[in-house]
Amino acid sequence: MTLSHFTRRALMAAFALSVLSSSAVAEEPLTINVGYAAIGLDSRPYAEGTSAATARAGEYLEKEFANDPNVKIEWFFFKGAGPAVNEAFANNQLDFAYQGDLPSLIGRANGLKTKYLLASGARKPLYLAAAKDSTIKSVGDLKGKKVAYQRGTNGHLAAIKVLEANGLTEKDIQVINLDSAGTVAALTSQDIDAAFGDTTLINLASKGNARVIYTTKGDDPRFGRNAGIIGREDFIDKHPEITQRVVDAFVKAAQWSSDEPNRAALFELWHKSGTPIPILEDYFSNDKLAYRNSPLIDDLLVSQYEEQGTKAREFGLIRRNVSVEGWFEPKYLKVSLEKLGLQKFWQAYGANGKPLGSS
Amino acid sequence: MSLAATLQTKRAVKIRRGLTLPVLLLALWEVSSHTGLVDARFLPSLEDVFLTAKRELIDNNLFGELGFSLFRNIAGFFIGSVFGILFATLLALSRLADALITPTFNGLKQISLLAWIPLISIWFGFGEQAKIVFVAIAAFIPVVLNTYEGMRNAPRDLIEVGHALKFTPLQRIMRIFLPSALPSIATGVHLGLIYSWLATVGAEYFLAVGPGVGGLIIAGRERFDMALVMVGVIILGLVGFILNRLAATVESYLLRWRVSAH
Amino acid sequence: MSTASKSVSVAPASAQLRRAPRKLLNRRALDRFGIALIVPLGLLLAWWIASSQGWLPEQILPSPAYVSSTALEMVTSGEIFYHAGASLQRVVIGFLFGAAAGLTLGMAMGLSRRVDDYVRPLFLAFAQIPTLGWIPLLMLIFGIGEALKIIVIAKGALVPMTINTAAGIRAVPASLVEVGHALRFSRLQTLRLIVLPGAAPSLFTGIRYGLTHSWTALVAVELLASSEGLGYLLVWGRQMFWLDVVIVAMVAVGAIGFLMDKGLDASEILVQRWKQGEDS
Repeated sequence: MTLSHFTRRALMAAFALSVLSSSAVAEEPLTINVGYAAIGLDSRPYAEGTSAATARAGEYLEKEFANDPNVKIEWFFFKGAGPAVNEAFANNQLDFAYQGDLPSLIGRANGLKTKYLLASGARKPLYLAAAKDSTIKSVGDLKGKKVAYQRGTNGHLAAIKVLEANGLTEKDIQVINLDSAGTVAALTSQDIDAAFGDTTLINLASKGNARVIYTTKGDDPRFGRNAGIIGREDFIDKHPEITQRVVDAFVKAAQWSSDEPNRAALFELWHKSGTPIPILEDYFSNDKLAYRNSPLIDDLLVSQYEEQGTKAREFGLIRRNVSVEGWFEPKYLKVSLEKLGLQKFWQAYGANGKPLGSS
Repeated sequence: MSLAATLQTKRAVKIRRGLTLPVLLLALWEVSSHTGLVDARFLPSLEDVFLTAKRELIDNNLFGELGFSLFRNIAGFFIGSVFGILFATLLALSRLADALITPTFNGLKQISLLAWIPLISIWFGFGEQAKIVFVAIAAFIPVVLNTYEGMRNAPRDLIEVGHALKFTPLQRIMRIFLPSALPSIATGVHLGLIYSWLATVGAEYFLAVGPGVGGLIIAGRERFDMALVMVGVIILGLVGFILNRLAATVESYLLRWRVSAH
Repeated sequence: MSTASKSVSVAPASAQLRRAPRKLLNRRALDRFGIALIVPLGLLLAWWIASSQGWLPEQILPSPAYVSSTALEMVTSGEIFYHAGASLQRVVIGFLFGAAAGLTLGMAMGLSRRVDDYVRPLFLAFAQIPTLGWIPLLMLIFGIGEALKIIVIAKGALVPMTINTAAGIRAVPASLVEVGHALRFSRLQTLRLIVLPGAAPSLFTGIRYGLTHSWTALVAVELLASSEGLGYLLVWGRQMFWLDVVIVAMVAVGAIGFLMDKGLDASEILVQRWKQGEDS
């Protein structure tokens, strides 16, 4: 009760302050708060492997608003990943965020008012690494073992799908909930037997501190995980032009990240997150950049999100049905693509995973 | 003269004895880390810890980070203490408020402090606000408990004097209840300071990462940098110790004033 | 260390309440109970109205109906008991280790000036660092398994137990010990018949604070690394955005804390009554 009392006071003070400050300046200054559901090595405020990470490291948003001194871009990186982004959305502390499929669906199931604006970091693979001295050789060997992943992230759902395909459920293993930095520490010290994750695991394996024993890469594409740029509905409704420009900036970043000649430069840029370049090369080997960095909300993506929703419900990760209807908002993406002349730049895929218009 | 001398030797013995174990321990530490008796990963050498401390303090602006932690700590502690004293005064002096609210408060206080973390992070997000709220709750609870006790135990005759002199409620609070509860309030505030430092570290562990000593320790663990963890832990202890001393000094100062006033 | 030395000076608030005569208590207690329920029921009503009217977004607080149905589900499926059991087991084992160690150390410090002189400064320096600070360090050494949890919980109990035991033994009047000498008690007899009973109230303070610290330490260590227990349930609920589960877990943490507190009150009264019975 005292808590709410205090909150009310704090809110009132904050409100008074914001009224004062906004009336003092003629042209309303605006800070766009952009979240990213991951964090770089040693908590560096950078990430890798997505067009959103390119936008961050290449300052695409900052450049987009370079001539508007009233608009400020503020980036936030979350060690707590997707679940922490939801907490921030619930408190209106973020306007846009890069977030994985499961957490954004969880947020939606809990009534967070958001829109899915464009894909970024979709079709990401998942890796399974075993501790150096463990005897685990395949997914099936995980039974009864201590396996780490971060609950509530898109890796969590992807991991359960992999387990399921191998006749296991979450109950058959001993789940240890760790973020990616914690996973690295625990796997190195062999406190756990195995872990699901991505580049950090490849990195660890390259140093000989773990063995990658499975990846969804090249396996059934439905095992992969998706992500995208999520916007807060209130913000979008209030600032449609700003939203359009934000989407423009992300699309430009996606375009640059999809151009094969940029491959080396791209990895160099992403290296700001602390992930070594050879690891990124491995992470993207045999994949076309345009495939991984496509911003399109195509039938494949929509059907994948629908399936993730159903699966999450089935696995008990979401306890209410979640509908993606009306959530996808491709309007801004469409305008951007037209404006930039990129309608044909990326290949759209059908729900069956085949390129659209190819048959 | 001879008494003073014996006292002095007694003191010397005490100091010598007190220093024996720490010195032995440090020597053992140094020897075993150098001879490889213990894995250096678990027990880095003293120089290593010292160099790490130097690096963090001078190159990596640890003082700045410490400033962040302390700011959070003081802000939360201050808010929690002020609200705590006000709240406890209400409970102690109003029979109705006491009957209505005290049981609920006693129920809520049973919830271990750290169990509030998820709700606070969902209610307040990742900003500074969430951390300060958490620290404030940590300070609030002991302040309320002790202030309440102190006021409830105000001497009956003093209260009757207040009635006889037809004191206004405010006068009663200022002249009777607050002064007689002062030792308890001081205890509560002192405990609040200790808990709020604990909560500051807790907030840095469990709420969003940000600058601070807690973040430093966590980073050290993730990097397998035992020296860094040790530096963080030592700083944690030192700051706790200094805050504690400070509170004790203020407390004894206040209480001395009280003794002389009576 | 002053956390615990402070603790000594804070008498348990319930000590005064129990002096009331028995008969009067029943009616008055009922009245009191009724009044005490007004606020929680009022809050519950406000919560219910606010969420059914949609004033309270469910990502801030889900409806009471939803939370209670979750609670019921977790009770009937036994899930909550499984997690509470895991936590309780850890606390009991960790506390017993910590309390036993604290009792031994405290007794040694209380009985021998020499031991006290040697150990106290180092002990206080260690005690200065909050349990929360030790966890990452211990994690590096012991990993994230069960051993870590037990050690952290034991450490929580050790400090108040040691300090209060030592203080309690010190406080036993020398004249009483001399009586023992006069009666030609053996050392063990003196300890058992004179010193320990004299130090009992202080020991109880140590147990009380030890148990509270253990319980807090448990939540901390389960929040950081575990795959079962109430702390785990809190993290799990937070990450899945299940506020209903978080609230149920919080209530369980509070309820167990409450029961431990009441249990200690009751056993303290029992021991004191038994002591008085033996004295007369």
